[in-house]
Amino acid sequence: QHFRGRKNRCYKLAVRSVRRAFVKSTKARREKKRFLRALWITRIEAASLEHGLKYPAFISNLLKSQVELNRKMIADLAIYEPKTFKSLAALAQRRRQEGFLAALGDGKEPEGIFSRIVHHY
Amino acid sequence: VAKTSLTSPPWPEVKLPDPVEEAKYHAEVVQKVNKMIATGQYGRLFAVVHFASKQWKITSEDLIMMDNVLEAECGDRIRMEKVLLVGADDFTLIGRPLLGKDLVRVEATVIEKTESWPKINMRFWKRHNYQRKKIITNPQTVLRINTIEIFPCLS
Repeated sequence: QHFRGRKNRCYKLAVRSVRRAFVKSTKARREKKRFLRALWITRIEAASLEHGLKYPAFISNLLKSQVELNRKMIADLAIYEPKTFKSLAALAQRRRQEGFLAALGDGKEPEGIFSRIVHHY
Repeated sequence: VAKTSLTSPPWPEVKLPDPVEEAKYHAEVVQKVNKMIATGQYGRLFAVVHFASKQWKITSEDLIMMDNVLEAECGDRIRMEKVLLVGADDFTLIGRPLLGKDLVRVEATVIEKTESWPKINMRFWKRHNYQRKKIITNPQTVLRINTIEIFPCLS
């Protein structure tokens, strides 16, 4: 790396390695965005696990409660503003519980036909 | 009906607190925060602003550099709308998704309008005698955030 050996002295070898370096830097500029997003996601996951929530639950509940912060911001907030991140986690947890209650509906079960208990006498 | 694995849902049963009591508690908290803002008991304010298709976490006396051109001369004052979050030490105001313009005011001035360092864009295919080299300089603007103010008009 960094033009080891004769690549930093001899013109022909240097030309080839500098060309490869330019090409790699152009391709890496596109991959950097993917890499950084994965880094933010792992950071958010670690921070939300400290507050007892998993990452998919956290993100989906935040989006459902109409808070549109992107992952870079949430990761930065989790690093520099722990209290704000805690309040966001509490918001997501509350929205999750409301979602569960909404999914249950009445709380009663319909009477089954095949699942009725039949007594033999 | 007999109990199977699908009678009760897989998540643990949770009970929400009483909505009336909750509404009272919420009103109390809002009153407290309003009083705090009105008396001015906050230290440094930070805000999350959506600007130039990116989100920035800014405080006062902050420098921000963006990769595009703004149609404002150097030294112009700019008011940033689209504030997503405002916070201080004891309280934060989370917008859904934006906060009202009568709540927050973010002021910035344009300092510099330069070009970026010359980036090299090169494409090369082996054994096909194909290489293209292009030098790109993006225009950049530098803004300095002067103040972030909040007004006590919560409800």
